[in-house]
Amino acid sequence: MSDHKPEKKAKPPRAFGWVAEYADDNKLLEAARKVRDSGYSRTDAFTPFPVHGIDEALGIKATVLPWFTLCAGATGTCIALLMQWWMNAYDYPYIISGKPFSSWPAFIPVAFELTILFAAYTTVFAMLGLNGLPRFSNPMFTNPKFDRATDDRFFLWVDSRDKYFNTEKVKSLLESTGPISVDEVREDESSPVIPKAIFSVVFLLILISLIPGAIILRMRAARSDAPRWHVFFDMDFQPKKKPQQTTTLFADRRVQRPPVPGTIARGELDLADPYYLGYDPDKTAALEIADATRMVAFKLQDPAQDPAAQDPIPAAPAEPNYAWLTEAPIEATDELFALGKKKFETNCAVCHGFGGYGDGLVSQRAVNLAQGYWLQPTSMHEDRIQKQTIGRIYYTVANGKGKMAGYASSLTPRERWAVALYVRVLQRSQNARIEDVPEPRRAEFSSN
Amino acid sequence: MAANTLNDNVTMPASWRAKAPILAAVGFCSVLISLGLFHFGSSSENEATGFKMFYHSYLTNYVYCLSFCLGALFFVLVQHVVRAGWSASVRRVAELLAYTIPWWAALFLPIVAVVFSDHGTLYEWSKGAGKVEPIVELKLGYLNPSWFLLRAVVYFAIWCIAARIYFRMSREQDETGSTEITLKLQRWAGPFIIMFALALNFAAFDWIMSTDAAWYSTIFGVYIFASGMLSFFAVMILTCYLMQRSGRMQKYVNTEHFHDLAKWQFGFIVFWSYIAFSQFLLYWYANIPEETIWYKERLDLSTGWRPLGYLLIALHFAVPFLGTLPRAVRRNKAMMAGWAVFILIVHWLDMTFLVMPNVGPASAMMLIGHFVCWVGMVSIFLALFMFRVGETPMVATRDPWLPDALAYQQMPM
Repeated sequence: MSDHKPEKKAKPPRAFGWVAEYADDNKLLEAARKVRDSGYSRTDAFTPFPVHGIDEALGIKATVLPWFTLCAGATGTCIALLMQWWMNAYDYPYIISGKPFSSWPAFIPVAFELTILFAAYTTVFAMLGLNGLPRFSNPMFTNPKFDRATDDRFFLWVDSRDKYFNTEKVKSLLESTGPISVDEVREDESSPVIPKAIFSVVFLLILISLIPGAIILRMRAARSDAPRWHVFFDMDFQPKKKPQQTTTLFADRRVQRPPVPGTIARGELDLADPYYLGYDPDKTAALEIADATRMVAFKLQDPAQDPAAQDPIPAAPAEPNYAWLTEAPIEATDELFALGKKKFETNCAVCHGFGGYGDGLVSQRAVNLAQGYWLQPTSMHEDRIQKQTIGRIYYTVANGKGKMAGYASSLTPRERWAVALYVRVLQRSQNARIEDVPEPRRAEFSSN
Repeated sequence: MAANTLNDNVTMPASWRAKAPILAAVGFCSVLISLGLFHFGSSSENEATGFKMFYHSYLTNYVYCLSFCLGALFFVLVQHVVRAGWSASVRRVAELLAYTIPWWAALFLPIVAVVFSDHGTLYEWSKGAGKVEPIVELKLGYLNPSWFLLRAVVYFAIWCIAARIYFRMSREQDETGSTEITLKLQRWAGPFIIMFALALNFAAFDWIMSTDAAWYSTIFGVYIFASGMLSFFAVMILTCYLMQRSGRMQKYVNTEHFHDLAKWQFGFIVFWSYIAFSQFLLYWYANIPEETIWYKERLDLSTGWRPLGYLLIALHFAVPFLGTLPRAVRRNKAMMAGWAVFILIVHWLDMTFLVMPNVGPASAMMLIGHFVCWVGMVSIFLALFMFRVGETPMVATRDPWLPDALAYQQMPM
């Protein structure tokens, strides 16, 4: 047995056709036309500068690249407009500069940019793709004569992979065009195997590229007492005031300026309009609200010390002292009366009774059950309730009081005002004076 | 005259030139008819509205026609300053167009007359001190009849001198074939472009922007420039096409030149749209009443001009952009001639949109009179162009760049 390893038979390098060399572009053009007219299409020309007419001479068809550009550009436009609409008008509606959520003029610059971006990038990469690039090896470069392709020689190549390729025929055709030389295009003889070193280097680079990400992940997961890094010091510490800070610029020492009286946030009319509230919020804000005073006093107390030894917290008010509306902000019509009556009898009479005396069926039943906890529903005709303004009554209808729940979810604001006005009607009806009766009918109510 | 293919006849057909006097007459009559239409059709109390409408219409159509000539002049200057070869065969047409500017200076006189008449018929500021709103009062140091006239004289002087030099020397080159002429024209083109640009910019301010003296837009000059260039290229394409159909200019102007002119036209469609939208976007975003008032007058439903505004977006940008986008269209002479006509109509709508809303809400009578005035001014333009061309060859046959122009080929796709 011999320990002489058999030599691997070297594969002959592949051939890729013939290449002809010319000294001027006109010869090249003539040759290209001849080759084209002989029916060969897998050809190419290599010239130091663009030669006019070479595309036609080689029979190269128009490229499809413009279609890539058009479709990519159109895609960019659509994506941009859709993205902005989605972001600003649907997903997170955001008022910018007082403009509508879906403001198409504002969307145009981004749409323009994305059109150009998509079109340009696609064109570049499609062009590279259509040209089969990047390519790591081209058999053309094996022949040292080819170096002059960027200098002063013109080359015409007929690929062996052409449908009609025939070695002898192509060679003789090229020779008949009067070239300086005709050579076979052979593949480079070096091994196509990628050197192991490249893998190691690439692997190392990938590892290195993971380092910044790893640092970031660690910093996000870990705790640190060290102060932050401020790479951009004057961005992080800007000479401006932030909300909630104090300032000497304004008398009330606040940075934030209160909104102009009467300002209403978008979609929040029901938080600001007396029609929805029953009281005037701006006027109320000017009053000293007892609930607020209590809250402040509570907060000012030191929880560590005995509450009794500190400033006493004011007693809870019997009545919130808001700036109630004294007149209903709605015109009292017959229709409104009918509405108020209906709603009162549906929602309120159950407890308060049809006459408003607090003797509704629920109350009667509870009294019959004689459970000690039952608190009789308020009678509308008590002095206290008589003295309440219509705005206060509205507020009670909407928000409730004590055991009574608010009926804001059952009654629209208009219905609530109707009910409040109906309460007034009931009060008037049970507490009328002789002067309220029209003249002609007063006689019916004389005491004798 | 037999139109054999690729003959080298480069003069304007005599049958065309014969029509020139008729066109001039028709033109002047149409303008007068439009005056009558405005006068008798204006429904309001005072006669002044009729004259006001007429003068605004006259101004609009005047600027419309002048914009072709100014675009032509700029084209000539630019081709010289960059030493372009491809345009040598079509440049003479532009030189001839530009050389009609001196006659257009004469047609500016009615505007000068109305400015000096103090009634504020065309420009509010011409009423003078004490009769205009405070913000316009502050501008009267600039906007007054004497300075207006002086500036107009300067603008026309710059344009006429440039047009005359470039035409005459090009014509001289027809006789002598001297390359020195080309070198001189190239050298002077730079300074002339600067003067041209300044003149055009301030003419736009003076003549068009001051119709609404309280309003201003710093990009307005560029807007007028863009729309003028666009319409010039349309005129150029149409002229070359019609000449070739009559068997002229066939040897010297081929598909490659049409393709390039079409590319220029396409580029200026995009450029115009860009400028027009820039002006709009900035004013829309800032929402400053002093600036948005101009757009409000044109886009508010109550004045009736909004359809025209939206039409411009569609017809001045979207349609011609997509229509002339394919390369095949730009290499088709007949199709480009069709698009040229389309552009010229749309350019008129654009000029209308700039000036006419200043008169008041859109009305049928106003638009009919305006249309008749347009027909008149276009006829006058054609007549003046034909008078100017006369027997002049419409190709500079001894231009040193001409061989380049004839050998010119577009990059194949």
